[in-house]
Amino acid sequence: MSASTSTQLAVHVRAVTKTFGTGEAAVPALKGVDFDARQGELLMIVGPSGCGKTTLLSVIAGTLNFDGGEIDVFGSPLHAMKPRHITEFRKRHVGFIFQQFNLIPTLSCIENVSVPLLINGVSRRVAEQKAAAMLDQMGLPGRGHERPTNLSGGQQQRVAIARALVHEPRLVICDEPTSALDKDTGGHIMDLLCAVARHPERSVIVVTHDNRIFKYADRLTEMEDGRVQRVHGQGGNHDLIE
Amino acid sequence: MYHLALKMLLGDRAKYAMLVGGLTFATMLMTQQSAVFFGLLKWTTSHLSNMRAKIWVVDRNVQQANELKALRDTDVNRVRSVTGVAWAMPIYVTIQSAKLADGNFKPIMLVGLDNTTLVGRPPIMLRGQLEDVRLPNSIILDELGIQRLSVGRAKPLGLGDTFELNDKEARIVGICRADRHFFGYPYAYSTYTQALQFAPKQRKMLSLVLAEPAPGWTAEAAAKQIQLETGMKAYTEDELFWSTIRWYFRNTGIPVAFVSIIVLGFIVGTTISGQTFYAFVHENLRHLGALKAMGASNSLLARMLLVQSFTVGFLGYGIGVLLVTLFGQVVLARGDPPFMLPWQLPAATFAIVMGICAFSALLGIVKVWKVEPAIVFRG
Repeated sequence: MSASTSTQLAVHVRAVTKTFGTGEAAVPALKGVDFDARQGELLMIVGPSGCGKTTLLSVIAGTLNFDGGEIDVFGSPLHAMKPRHITEFRKRHVGFIFQQFNLIPTLSCIENVSVPLLINGVSRRVAEQKAAAMLDQMGLPGRGHERPTNLSGGQQQRVAIARALVHEPRLVICDEPTSALDKDTGGHIMDLLCAVARHPERSVIVVTHDNRIFKYADRLTEMEDGRVQRVHGQGGNHDLIE
Repeated sequence: MYHLALKMLLGDRAKYAMLVGGLTFATMLMTQQSAVFFGLLKWTTSHLSNMRAKIWVVDRNVQQANELKALRDTDVNRVRSVTGVAWAMPIYVTIQSAKLADGNFKPIMLVGLDNTTLVGRPPIMLRGQLEDVRLPNSIILDELGIQRLSVGRAKPLGLGDTFELNDKEARIVGICRADRHFFGYPYAYSTYTQALQFAPKQRKMLSLVLAEPAPGWTAEAAAKQIQLETGMKAYTEDELFWSTIRWYFRNTGIPVAFVSIIVLGFIVGTTISGQTFYAFVHENLRHLGALKAMGASNSLLARMLLVQSFTVGFLGYGIGVLLVTLFGQVVLARGDPPFMLPWQLPAATFAIVMGICAFSALLGIVKVWKVEPAIVFRG
């Protein structure tokens, strides 16, 4: 099956392998991973430390080369694309939310949020207007000119979500989005991400350790030792989610 | 994105100040030391700027303007007889002791000009009449001479005042402005005949002959002809200038001393700027990696780093040259130390500082080029 032949699939991963290092120091991180993410869903990748979930997220996002297998993201075959085209693909279609927010502390919130638009060639004026509007949507009206360091952790993550969404990407990649937040703030952030995932032509993939937020997932992919062990949720096992 | 690059740079105030400070220091060191060096070299050729002639005829072994070997008195007529020479005038140059009011002595550079034409006259007369130098015991003294010889007097020397020059009375009939001599001697002008009387008698007294090419002759051709016909050494003004400079390069440690400091300025600038900019990039690597993950190309990130690096370069250079200019104004007003800032010098410093910035940016660019965007997913 290919993603281009299925309108439902956002991400289609088959037999993907990735090994770090060479020779005796070689560490296989992905050992033939098969994985799908659908459009309009929030999918979580969970598993113990070192199981390969962040590596999987990185190769899906096109930020890390992989050794073998195939990855289609919204019909774009990453395995067959040149690095330049993968960068172009990320620029247009992927939004990122990081564990440590990765907001640039010397820029204002509006400037941080406008970055993906500026990278896409949007003018500064338009980019900052859209960034301000996006911050309003994220519940941060009037905070646009503040530095991220003046905001709470939850507010900073909202800014990061605004940055991830401002250029309307189809794939939103989230790496441990709640691990630096308390339970309530994490819950609010997940509510926001669930709302983001409701878009019919978008898919949100979340890597997490945080079992408090498993309940927000539409489906949950469990990894272990570089492989997908099982999928919980629609059409699968609901145990872990419940 | 460039405005964000600048905000990232300005946001890290400590590194920003360090970068600008380092480049300011490097600019200052390179420009100021070069300006002093050039000023010193200019002092070595002060005879040329203070006497001005197209052709300088000297003993065949003379290599530079400050080491003159006396000629015979008849040599001036031999030069005059050469085809291609319009005129030739004798000059006597000697260092004599002037007595101060407090009893001390100061050396002065006494120049004896041709009695009739006064060829080799002071470049700028500030007070008095040039022609009065023909009056008995008359001297035209430069500003430095006035300042030096006024020591111990109630008021500075002026027109009509006298002082003792080699046990003879010299009367000041004019004050001029002249370039300072390499050894720091003030210039005093008199007529050739009177200068011979101020100085102790020697077998040969003619120091050099100043000449002008005849119409239709270039200075080079006339100089060559003088050498051919008289066996004396004839330099064009330009040739003597560069011969003098080359002599000081070959025979003194001055260039090595100055070049060492200039190279030190370059090394300090490169080290501070390169190391600080590299540290700045290293500390921002995670953010740059995030930009890369979001789709910023390597070339966009490289351009951002170049904007940052050249911005501090322009600022550091601007402040550095401004400080050097202020330094120059102060020392030129004092006349010491030597200082000469031709436009080529700040232009060369600018090119070097921009080179340092390009190198610093390159260090960062290589670092950013290698970073994988997946770095942002590592904890």
